[in-house]
Amino acid sequence: MNGGFRGAAWLLAVGCATTPALAQDSERSRYYIQQMIELAATNDEAGVNAMQRMLEQEPRPAPRDPAAARAALQRGQAALRTGDLNVALTAFQQAGRDDPGNVDAVNHLGLVERKLGQFPDAERDLQRALALEPTRASAWFQLAQVYGLSEDGRRARGALANTYRFAQNPMRAEEILRNIAESEASDTLRTAAVETLRLYQLPVEVVIVPPLPANPGIVPLMTAPASGRKP
Amino acid sequence: MTSRLAPLALLVLLSGPSSAGAGQYETLDYHIQQMIVQSAANDEAGVQTFREQLDNLRRPEAGDAAQAQPLFQQGLDYLNHNQPKEALSAFRQAFIADPADAETAGQLGFSYLRLGRLKEAERLLVYALALAPARSASWLHLGQVYGQSGDATRSAGAFANAYRFAQDRPRLAGQLRQLAATDSADAVRAGAAQALRPGQSAPATQLPAAGKSTSVADLPPPAVATPVPVSPPVAPPTARTADPAPSTPPAGGALLDSLRQGLSNLAKPANTTAPNVGLRPMSVAVGDNPGQQIYQNSIPRTCLIVTFRNGKTDSLGSGLLVSADGLVVTNHHVIENADNLAVKCGERESVARVGKRSKEPDLALLMTTLNRVDGFVLNDAYSQELIGLEVFVIGNPYGLEGTFSTGVISGLREIDGVRYFQISAPISPGNSGGPVILRDGSVIGIATMGLKKGQNLNFAIAAAELIHSGLFDPNRMKISAARGKNP
Repeated sequence: MNGGFRGAAWLLAVGCATTPALAQDSERSRYYIQQMIELAATNDEAGVNAMQRMLEQEPRPAPRDPAAARAALQRGQAALRTGDLNVALTAFQQAGRDDPGNVDAVNHLGLVERKLGQFPDAERDLQRALALEPTRASAWFQLAQVYGLSEDGRRARGALANTYRFAQNPMRAEEILRNIAESEASDTLRTAAVETLRLYQLPVEVVIVPPLPANPGIVPLMTAPASGRKP
Repeated sequence: MTSRLAPLALLVLLSGPSSAGAGQYETLDYHIQQMIVQSAANDEAGVQTFREQLDNLRRPEAGDAAQAQPLFQQGLDYLNHNQPKEALSAFRQAFIADPADAETAGQLGFSYLRLGRLKEAERLLVYALALAPARSASWLHLGQVYGQSGDATRSAGAFANAYRFAQDRPRLAGQLRQLAATDSADAVRAGAAQALRPGQSAPATQLPAAGKSTSVADLPPPAVATPVPVSPPVAPPTARTADPAPSTPPAGGALLDSLRQGLSNLAKPANTTAPNVGLRPMSVAVGDNPGQQIYQNSIPRTCLIVTFRNGKTDSLGSGLLVSADGLVVTNHHVIENADNLAVKCGERESVARVGKRSKEPDLALLMTTLNRVDGFVLNDAYSQELIGLEVFVIGNPYGLEGTFSTGVISGLREIDGVRYFQISAPISPGNSGGPVILRDGSVIGIATMGLKKGQNLNFAIAAAELIHSGLFDPNRMKISAARGKNP
């Protein structure tokens, strides 16, 4: 099946089967984002593209007070630079309320929530940012960290795969992934980075030998490994 | 093709499908590879055309140069203090901060090269050259990457570009002469020598006679805790001239002659009275020296494997006879790039061809003419009870034939679905594919890789993987499931 046909098939399948079941726009957007994550984790480019197009057709929230949102955004960014996360959080929340379609404000809100360890809030707001701009690599990267730090390896890998897919400079993204793969303290995130590099067949050195399984048993050869670590 | 027509033809080629639709890196790589090809053909116009094409590509967005600068300086300091791993880390952070700086990308690529991470080095150096196609240092390092990967042709093209774009050509020519004379990799020496030949950009005058290669002891210590295949490039047996690689590899008798010549220069074990054929009876061993007994029994069935590529020796490894009709098992990575193979088991030599191969598990089966010698007994055991059991390893680390070492089974590891024994017996590049033997003489594993960091953290593919791999008919194997107790 070629890529174009697969993409069309995805659109048909999603359009026919899921749309009526999801009443809320935000729920539908989150569904598409989760699909983008799942499909990216298996390197299904046509599927990711189809979901991206679905997201881009979603209605945009109307701004209430764009000028006030911009001012709050600037306050938040200034507070973020000085490390005052709580002030930044309040400012970005305000910006998001004044203009729910301001992707910078929503993305920064998710970033600060992640830094504060408020992972469910961070996940929600980063998904909001991605619903507004599905190709925003920085939001995918933040979301990957949220999943990685929440021990959700599969979704971390999918989000990292989309980080690389949408990166403006893939070589920079590649080095960021290698940096995580070699230096990150979180096992889940580190493993997700290794798997993402392998997914795209990029060179990576694994620095830690997998732990000894409790009972190695006999694994038949010539079958796919249970760990699923191969690209 | 005249130099006036060449750019036109190249532009026509460029408009074709070769680079259309490719990813960003693939597009950059395409242009760099074309510059190498044109350079190897000494086509100045072609090189310049592709350089201009690169200059016209969209530049990556500049990053935070102020943040990158101190990190870059830190990286240089680490390099100056021979700390490539730390340099890599600093240059990587600088690159992430400002990926549009060619100097940073080039130094990051060089750091990868210093650490032997050739694939990463190639990618970063290609990227650096796409940013600054006239950066001579990156061409020089890229030439080393290709040479160390065994590709003398691309190495020569990259070296020629290093000279072409050098600000200080005499100095660069000196660097190439140094590489041609002393680099430990055959293809680096050949590539540098080719770049120095008349007709290439760099002058061949005053090309000195080649000296001896860098010895193993001169190499910097490994620094990254990563399992690495233990198959080294063959060190040049003698001082060699800077002749380019012959176009066809030796075959048959010529191959064996080449093998003999190469082997004669490798370090021999002190005891050269290894049996010619057959097995030594157990009783010949010194009574309280079980290692001697195992050594005597195993050495006729332990093989040195020499690979040839582009007509030259490429790498060496170890192997083990597993059947009476000449089947030899080794690691896939030992033979994967070989055009031709020769093996020497005990004192007997043979050409070999690959019967079957498998990347995972990393195994290959070679077919030789070495019959009339029983193969090793393969031991199917793989359980926690084996941990702590004494093991013996025979192989050819760095060409030191028949090196014997001992250790214990330190653990069981499953990596990518393949079962390994972690062993404490020392192994080094050249041990790849050799047997890991229990006290009863049966083979429990095939030495495959070790961690650079730490001490004696080495890994052998479990013989059980070989037995069940389908690489060869179980009816031709001798299998035991004993626990390796004393015979």
